[in-house]
Amino acid sequence: MLTRLAGGHVVDPAHGRDGVGDVWISDGRIVAAPQAGKADETHDVAGKMVLAGAIDIHSHIAGHNETMGRLLLPELRQVEHPGHGTPRGAWTTRETGRLYAAMGFTTVIEPAVAPHHALQAHLELADIPIIDKGALTVLGNDDFTLGLLRGKDGAQAMQDYIAWTLATSRGLGVKVVNAGGAEAFKENVRTFSLDDEVPDYGVSSRAIVKALQHGVVALGLPHPLHVHCNNLGVAGNIDTAVATIAAAEGLPLHLAHIQFYAYGKEGPRGFSSAAPRLAEAVNAAKSVTVDVGQVMFGQTVTISSDVLRQFNARNSAKPKKWLIDDGDANGGGIVAYDYSASNFFNAVQWAAGLELFLLITDPWRVFFTTDHPNGAPFTAYPDIFALLMDRNLRAEWLSRLPTEAVAVTTLPSIAREYSWSEIATMTRAAPARLLGLKDRGHLGAGAVADIAVYAPNRDKATMFRNAALVFKDGALVVRDGAIVSEPYGRTLTVTPARDKAIERRMRDYYQERYGLTPDFMTVAERVLGSRYAFEAVPCRN
Amino acid sequence: MTEAWIRGKPVTLAAATGEAARLLGASRMPVIAGLGTDVAGVRAAIALARQVGGAIDHMHAATLLRDLDVMRESGMMTTTPNEARLRADLLLLIGPGLVQAWPELRTRLLATPEGVTRRIVWLCGGSEAETAGTPVEIIGGAPEDLPALLASLRARCAGRPGGNTAQALSALASDLGNVKFGVAVWSAAALDALTVEMLCGLVRDLNATTRFSGLPLAPADNAAAVLQASGWMTGLPPRTGFARGAGEHDPWRFDAVRLVESGEADCAVWISAWSATTPAWKRDVPTVVLAHDDGLRDKAQVTIMVGRPGLDHDAVTYLAATGTLAPLLAAQKSAALSVADALDRIAAQLPAGPPC
Repeated sequence: MLTRLAGGHVVDPAHGRDGVGDVWISDGRIVAAPQAGKADETHDVAGKMVLAGAIDIHSHIAGHNETMGRLLLPELRQVEHPGHGTPRGAWTTRETGRLYAAMGFTTVIEPAVAPHHALQAHLELADIPIIDKGALTVLGNDDFTLGLLRGKDGAQAMQDYIAWTLATSRGLGVKVVNAGGAEAFKENVRTFSLDDEVPDYGVSSRAIVKALQHGVVALGLPHPLHVHCNNLGVAGNIDTAVATIAAAEGLPLHLAHIQFYAYGKEGPRGFSSAAPRLAEAVNAAKSVTVDVGQVMFGQTVTISSDVLRQFNARNSAKPKKWLIDDGDANGGGIVAYDYSASNFFNAVQWAAGLELFLLITDPWRVFFTTDHPNGAPFTAYPDIFALLMDRNLRAEWLSRLPTEAVAVTTLPSIAREYSWSEIATMTRAAPARLLGLKDRGHLGAGAVADIAVYAPNRDKATMFRNAALVFKDGALVVRDGAIVSEPYGRTLTVTPARDKAIERRMRDYYQERYGLTPDFMTVAERVLGSRYAFEAVPCRN
Repeated sequence: MTEAWIRGKPVTLAAATGEAARLLGASRMPVIAGLGTDVAGVRAAIALARQVGGAIDHMHAATLLRDLDVMRESGMMTTTPNEARLRADLLLLIGPGLVQAWPELRTRLLATPEGVTRRIVWLCGGSEAETAGTPVEIIGGAPEDLPALLASLRARCAGRPGGNTAQALSALASDLGNVKFGVAVWSAAALDALTVEMLCGLVRDLNATTRFSGLPLAPADNAAAVLQASGWMTGLPPRTGFARGAGEHDPWRFDAVRLVESGEADCAVWISAWSATTPAWKRDVPTVVLAHDDGLRDKAQVTIMVGRPGLDHDAVTYLAATGTLAPLLAAQKSAALSVADALDRIAAQLPAGPPC
């Protein structure tokens, strides 16, 4: 069947398109306009904006920690019924797919899958409808990685281990969370920085990050090592962020939710936005990419594999409840939190995130996230798009914040407004490139027909919350913000080459250390259900 | 061939699922209970409950919710069986029923792996503690003494005078502060909610200066996996109803025994794919049984024999040794129907229309 989206304003930065034109779909793919012949179906999208489906590179949507978050705060569950408010975090698996699709998002990456819990993460992903998914596998606090580094076991062993873990957990990339910090916390360490050493192993956080970064590059993984730095949320942690950027040393490195590291110690409260300095460091380091982790005001629950940080945050829980799980390797910390516009610190966090969006000049290297649900639930995205595209709206929000908070940021002085092309780059073209997804994030012939159409509205948040039309694999799934069909997408994985000897080595290791075979952690397709499908993403070499 | 009965008389599978669908379709308030099944079975059960506007409950929900209530009302620190096994220099075993809850406790935790040294203290463990067989220090006697003993221990650890002045308890209190990574192990099946809360409070207090964590042992019949699947599908634990479309959780309202005995539920589905368990309610209610045994077939309206997950068919279940959901590949693969298959067949035969 040939489908034509006729006469819309097409924004496709990957192909330099930014003007009125048509987009054609056939058999789930975008095709060139046919020489002859007629569309079987035409959607008149004149006056509307036509973009590729959006891609979220970092959103905690599935896994054991997420479900413990759901169970910790059942009161966040305001359900999807119209008129009953916006869901603020219940995001059951089904709601997750439906709410993302309604905003025009068609691919979402769960960024923190613990290898031992990988099967649960994939079971949850299997229950998320409409969107395509992917998972980043967490390494760096596990005994095997630390043991390799302590034993100076060589780069090849690390590569084989990374490849083995990705195959076992069916990951799309590798993440490290407070490298060594979770392990150190088990030894009663309470603060942990880039050059601190993990007790017993004598390995620094920096050495872990570097070894994993090199491993990822050598394996040819499309996505760079995804780093959750040390000292998240701590005043003065700008130094940690800048040092970690410098540690990239010209090789690809992705720093996650950097808003949480954009803090100085200036001002009367000893807490200030250091976003301008951080943006400058990002602008200068061309091999580094970042996502923001924007904070928005309201109740949420923070979910992180950074157990040390979450433990230190437990006493600021709002409402007062939390779970700290000393897991195998990282584990998880779940802490309820309520960001308040009248709270000095929260106001600075909000402003720092927007400063980063606006002061980082290259939309190909800064990504749109709230670190869902940590800065805000993903349902807050439409409001953030509106703030980025409208300086008057920002001024309105700023006028409601504590003046002493505004005084320690530069946000009021920033006039930049994101263009449609920049939005499309940041949320479509750039994430596809960052993840190695050649047939997503653009509208060229051969691309997967994941398409979002928006009807311009003075209220930009409403426009982004309720896409006019969304196509997934060429099928209409959303009309005027309402779900019209609920197909199931695919889960993206990489399988880099590895020396087969690693299988035996890991089997022996698990037997000796755990008295178990690694079968318990192996994501076996036969138990995931027939609906669940993987899609292979090629490595670079 | 799948064995199935209607009121004790052998019937075809299609007749049984058809009759089950008819009962559920005619019901004003069905409850899907037991839920002794694998992850696929739970997913199908929740989907069915949504479709018919019913409620879900697990046979061990009361135990499950005792731990969960402490978590969702305050703060809790937990760890994994692996971390407890490899790292703990002190295991604090709390109350009775631990071996019953986790038979591998002896081999996984009490038998210390090579290179690990630890002290094992059992508080009010009753007969299980006395027969533990490894060097276990026993403090406290009968399980009934546990609440007072724990309260004293927590008070002493906080530097306050406690009620129990036993020498062993005082010594333990001062030792706890010097532990490197202690782990308290308990089974909520044997404790009341206040005792679990007291214990979790003790663990929280100890972390002000040292490292200590908790290892709650999960109830049987895959309860922990049911909790997770219910959590991701509905945002809520078992004892959740869908009569008004979206899930509503209420541990009292959606307790299957109460629903049936009060007459609120007019139809029940009882799922027990592993153990020959019977519902705890006394009142007669039209019941569809999915079980691996036929013990209820003469009493139930419909009985369908199902396979045992991980034995008759591949499954995902909670693995106590790791505390994770894990694949359990069929050890004695058979043609027996899975719970998920049976529920899907019933769902497919439901009369169309509201509530979903």
